[in-house]
Amino acid sequence: MNDPINVLTLFLFNIILVNIPLLYGTVGEILVEKSGSLDLGVEGTMAIGAIFGYLAGCAANSLAVGLLVSFLTAGLCGLLFSLLTVSLQANQNVTGLTITTFGLGLYFFVGKGIGERWPAMTASEGLVKGYASLEFPLLSKLPVIGKALFSHNILVYLGIAIAIAVWWYLNFTKTGLRLRAVGENPGAADSVGVNTLLYKYVHLIVGSGIMGLGGFYMALYMSGSFEGSNCWINGYGWIAIALVIFANWNPALAILGTLVFGFFNTLQIYSGPLAGVFPGPLGWLNAIPPQLYKALPFLITAIVLVASSVRKREGSGQPAALGLNYFREER
Amino acid sequence: MKKRQPLFHVVKREQAGPSRQILAYVAAVVLALSVGAVLLTVQGVEPVTFYRQLLTMGIPGSRYPWRSVENFIKLFVPLLITSMALALAFKMRFWNIGGEGQFIMGAFWAGFAAMKLGEILPQPLMVLVMTLCGALGGGLYGVFVAALKVRFDTNETLLTLMLNYVALYFLQYFAETKTEWNFFLDANSARPKFAKFPENSQMLTIPIGPFQLNLSLLAAAVICVLLYIYLNYTKRGYEIAVVGDSPNTARYAGMRVGKIVIRTIFLSAALIGLAGAFQVSSAGVLSTSITNDVGWTGVVVAWLAKLNTVGIVAASLLITVLQFGCQAASTAYPSIDANFANLLQGVILFIVLAADFFTRFKLVPRSRKEAVK
Repeated sequence: MNDPINVLTLFLFNIILVNIPLLYGTVGEILVEKSGSLDLGVEGTMAIGAIFGYLAGCAANSLAVGLLVSFLTAGLCGLLFSLLTVSLQANQNVTGLTITTFGLGLYFFVGKGIGERWPAMTASEGLVKGYASLEFPLLSKLPVIGKALFSHNILVYLGIAIAIAVWWYLNFTKTGLRLRAVGENPGAADSVGVNTLLYKYVHLIVGSGIMGLGGFYMALYMSGSFEGSNCWINGYGWIAIALVIFANWNPALAILGTLVFGFFNTLQIYSGPLAGVFPGPLGWLNAIPPQLYKALPFLITAIVLVASSVRKREGSGQPAALGLNYFREER
Repeated sequence: MKKRQPLFHVVKREQAGPSRQILAYVAAVVLALSVGAVLLTVQGVEPVTFYRQLLTMGIPGSRYPWRSVENFIKLFVPLLITSMALALAFKMRFWNIGGEGQFIMGAFWAGFAAMKLGEILPQPLMVLVMTLCGALGGGLYGVFVAALKVRFDTNETLLTLMLNYVALYFLQYFAETKTEWNFFLDANSARPKFAKFPENSQMLTIPIGPFQLNLSLLAAAVICVLLYIYLNYTKRGYEIAVVGDSPNTARYAGMRVGKIVIRTIFLSAALIGLAGAFQVSSAGVLSTSITNDVGWTGVVVAWLAKLNTVGIVAASLLITVLQFGCQAASTAYPSIDANFANLLQGVILFIVLAADFFTRFKLVPRSRKEAVK
């Protein structure tokens, strides 16, 4: 631990390992928000995906089953959100917050109910193997970045692949462009024959499903050990909502944003060791309170939010109809 | 060729009578409790016994029943005031979901006053100073978002959400930093720990036999009545309703919308800060979990009550019974904790949100002839 290169490598390695769940949450929320819905239920959706995905993965002894179930159960939260807000015109903020309350309530209810019979991750060979690091041939042998970038578990690469796929989908496919039209002006999209209802439903469900995958990742990262007081998601859902703004609703930028937020998030733990091995250049790290690192994602996002509204810049990715319900008969 | 037509179309309904709405609420609570009962049975808990303990909140048969009532009031008052305050903002369609942050700021500045002046001032004056500090702290934390909204049209939902966490970590900093200047901490404890406030900053109580009536309950009742009058019988209250319905109409009628928004949000956030001050003053000590999630739960309560003042009193009573009762009942069941109340709360609100649609709109079946045409 005292070798400077080693500390630096671990620091970089953890920036990616610990924070990719944020990327899942963010990309899912971007897909949702691009359809015009502001879903504040990310935290609850991720918690539901996490616990049910983990339990199913353990029961079936398979990573694929875990991924599928976390996607589906979180997708159900998206379905509930769309039923209430798209079809039944309920307020989006309230519905989202309720999904979070309900999701966390269900998470603890199920976890505590299982109690002693809680399955350990080590007992499930399928999950342990599935979550094991994949070493890229040759690349992983590079100094520092080999370990930091090319020897992660498969979910890290899946998360990045999903982010890139969603970026491509939103910018270069016909359905993606139509989706953006729905988020900007559903009335106009509707009048040219886009099925706005269907678009909103599908993207809410798929987006929520992606958040659920991030929850499942968190479950594996925490080695599946359930604690009665702290949820696995531990606020990542809220940071993801902030990150959507920071990334300007762009999934490719979200990868970069995850690294920036992840940098601060990980620095909170590594500031001590880093200051220890580089006392000269990094000794000042010890003087910064850890709470500042925790607050930074929210503080930065608040500043971005204010700055972009002051400058009214053209390139803002915020969908114009974000958070507004579309009532067809009032078109 | 057959043209596809939806089976129904949706038509706005005239405002439905209160009986229909009350029916919807009762149905929602009963349905939620039934869903809860099924879940409890799956877990091997007998639902009838559990619910009986939940609804009686462990008061009968307790050696100190008045203690339970005192604790119930401590939980009820902050939620009631916060929900009232949030409803004030929501009426204007200003999505203040920063209740958590404003509550923390209120509690923090009230605590600041208590630690600095607690030894000097007499008790009633001290409580008053704490209340004012809390209201001002919370109010300023909220009003600055309102000013940005008015001036630059900043998205207030997202900004207040972010500021919740900024406030939380701000408080955590004082909770966890052991230095000489940090007068919030207990000097005698080796680990960082919030110090108890001086005696004089305890919330005043009125003894009724063995029972100590917390003065904040009376204050909350007065606030509710004043807000009811403010909203329904004053010009300013009317302005809030007009701005909420249509800012353009308000502007056309010569109202200064920006000023109304800023004034109302200051009032809303200040009331939440005041609730925070009441909370710390009753608890006698700061804590990083001081809010007990009222900023979030308040949104639920305000919405359950459709922002109606009387409804909010009823809804916050209901939610407090669920939460307090769940805490009390769960002592007998290791597999269930207070989170079960959150689950029930979620289900109730889902049903109410869905039922809401049918009180606002009605479905008219498309007639056969029209479909053929």
